[in-house]
Formats: sequence, C-alpha cells, structure tokens
Amino acid sequence: MHRRLTFFAVLVVALLIQLTVSPEIGIGSVKPDILLVATICWALFEGPGQGALFGFSAGLLEDIFSTAVLGVSAFAKILIGYFSGELRQRVISKSVVWPMIIVFFGSILHELIKFATWAIVGLEQRPPFSFGVIAGLALYNSLITLVVYPVIRHFAGLEDRALMFQ
Amino acid sequence: MVERQNRRQRALIITLVIICILLVTVYSRESKDGLFHRLQRFSLDIVSPLQKGMSKVLSPVKDGIGYLTDLGDAKSERDRLKEEVESLQDVVDELEEMKLENKTLTKMIAVKESRPDLEYLVVDVIGANPDVWEQTIQIGAGYSNGLQEYMAVLSEDGSLIGRITLCTSEVSLVQLITDERSSVGAMLQNNAEMGVVKGEGRGGVRLELLNQDAEVETGDVVVTSGLGGTCPAGIPVGTITEISERRADLSVGIVISPRASLTRLDRVMVVTSPLPRTAPIKAEEGG
Repeated sequence: MHRRLTFFAVLVVALLIQLTVSPEIGIGSVKPDILLVATICWALFEGPGQGALFGFSAGLLEDIFSTAVLGVSAFAKILIGYFSGELRQRVISKSVVWPMIIVFFGSILHELIKFATWAIVGLEQRPPFSFGVIAGLALYNSLITLVVYPVIRHFAGLEDRALMFQ
Repeated sequence: MVERQNRRQRALIITLVIICILLVTVYSRESKDGLFHRLQRFSLDIVSPLQKGMSKVLSPVKDGIGYLTDLGDAKSERDRLKEEVESLQDVVDELEEMKLENKTLTKMIAVKESRPDLEYLVVDVIGANPDVWEQTIQIGAGYSNGLQEYMAVLSEDGSLIGRITLCTSEVSLVQLITDERSSVGAMLQNNAEMGVVKGEGRGGVRLELLNQDAEVETGDVVVTSGLGGTCPAGIPVGTITEISERRADLSVGIVISPRASLTRLDRVMVVTSPLPRTAPIKAEEGG
C-alpha cells in the first residue's frame, strides 16, 4: 500500500514539475524531462516491472497533457523503464554517478525511440532531428538526476536497501 | 518463483506495449474532435492556470538561466559584430577612397573642360625622390604611354606642379616647380608682365620679373606664359605672397605660394598635347 502511494505521489509530483517547472528552467530549446528521470530512478530502485509500469504511466500522462501523439512517450518510457530496471541487478554502487550515466544514455535512447516511432506511425509534422538537442537534453537530464535520485530514494523509503550498483 | 515473476513481468511489458500501440493507432486515426484529442485539450485547459502561476513564480529563475545562456550568446554575438564592424570599416574605407577619387576626377574633368585646347593623361604618383635636395616625384607612366621629357605636369585642379625631366618606358620623373633647378616662363595674370618662376627648394618658389619696374602686389596670380615652349600658356602657378625690398642687383624678391599642394599628390595630369617644342630654360640662365 505504502509502495503504491509512493508510486502515485512520485508520479504526480514529477508530472507537475514537468508541466510547470521544466518549461521555466529550459536552456534554449532543451527542457529537462523530469518524468523520464523519475522513471529511470524509480526503475533503478524497484526493478524492470515497476520501471516499465512507472514509465507507461508517466509517458501516458505526459502524452495526455501535451499535444503529442498519444502513446509514443508511454511506449518509449516503458522500454527505458524496463531496461533501467534490468540494470539494477547488474550495477552495485551508492554513488549518484551511475544513475547519472544511465539517465544520460537512457535519455538519448528515449529520444531515438520516439523519433523512430513517429517515423513508423508516419507523423507528418515531426520536429527536426537534432543530435545536438538530444545530447543537450541527455546532459541536462543527467544533471537533474543529482536532485531527483536522492529525493526518490528518500520518498521511496529505500534508504536502507539503497540500490547497489556494480 | 523467480521464473514466474519474470513471466509476469514480460506479460506486463507486452500488455503495456500493446496498449501503447493501440493508443497510437487509435489516436492517429481519429479526427481532431476524437476522444483522445478532446482529452488532451481538456488536460491542457486544466493545467494551464497552474503553468501560468508557476511561470510567474519561476520567472526570476528563468531570467537567471536566460542571463547565463545569453552570456554565451553575447560572446559569440560580440565576436560576430566585431567581424562585421571590421568588414564594414573596410567598406567605409573603400567608399572614402572612392569618394576622394571621385572628387579628384571631377576636378580633372573641370580642368579638361576649361582648357579644351589641351590634352591630358591622368597618371598615378608612385613615389617621391628620397633625396632632400631634389624636389621630384615619380609617376607611373613613361614613353610607352605617350609621355616624353619636358611635358608639363598639372595637379588635379589644373595648377602647374612641374615638368617631366626623365622618361623611361613605364615611369617618369617629374621635377617640381619648387626644385632649385626648375625654371618656368610665367607672367602676372592681371597685367601680363613677363618673368620666370624659379624653385628655391624646400617648397619655396620665387618670381623674377623681366621688367623690374612692373607693378606687382601680393595676391597677384601668376600663370605660365607659354614662352620657352614647354608649358602651355595660362596654367596657374600660384599667388604672390611676399614682395621684398630691391636687392643689390635692383631686382625685386617676389615669393609665390604654389597653388597646387605639392606634398599631397596622388594623381597628376600630364599635358600630352600640344607637345613641348623645346627644352626648358635652365635655372642658372635666369629665364
């Protein structure tokens, strides 16, 4: 019960920050994807199944609260959440550096999945692909992880069984 | 147990992915007034007041970030503007040069129109003689351009500046009227009293009148007389600025200020027609 509550609390707070704060702290066209960072952090604590579920919920909410094609972000975040959760069992470390690295590469993969999906769906008005923007977003997201990761760890009450990376 | 959990997880992932595919498909196929589109519009309506409020609250943060990112932009903008200023300065310099050239050419055309009996060749000044004792300049045309020795050389405003004393195929040497060896037949414009304009070196020119009792005043204009056959008549030489007491030889010392600015010559006009008939009067002959 506590876990579900935390799940929804983290999800809602991340969504609110994504919708209200993220656009205000953007650098140029790069706005941090708080929901993605939260998805990866959650997956790193809870594993692939929970990561995928969190990613689906976060992506779906993101799609609903935007004008993007419904389901694309959800799809991308399911995959990222799942694979991030898979990494939990392979990496043991208390350092925040590993989540930052995972978020960095996860962000790049997330955007590539979105672009690929848009292309498959045949979306006509796709944003122009820019690897510079994607790299900037990945970097920004990994910096945001410095804040998001400890917060989620705290709220998830996972301090004692904090994720160990190796 | 673990296997069962893994199977459950896989089933969950597959279910979620299928839901996503269905959502994407339905969303892509439905019209703008479809259920999901309306849901998105409704969601945006709900969240927009919150976004507005947060935007206001976070505006200092946004400004701060903007300021920091603008610093980088400002640097590149500064560099770009610097380059632009440099290139524009080049354009301005070029235009200034063209303006000056235009002014010079306009003056030359006016000279040409005022003396239709003469023909000119416009030549660039390419250098000056470094010897302090010689008041000469080099011009960028020689006999291959139709020039020859003793031709009169005028400034852009049509004033006499000297004569060609040496001609090679591409370059000519012009002896200025201020050179101590220069001597040109001249007369006073107002009463046609004849004389000889002689150089004194270092920018000075004097007039020696044939008639020592001739009426002469400061401000009188001196023009070439045409005698001697080298310079055509009527070309302005300068203005009398000083008349000294009679000297021991009873001659009057008359100092002329040359009309042409002899130290700032970029381009000159060589009188190519009529051709000089004789060699110039030698200075020591006293006209």
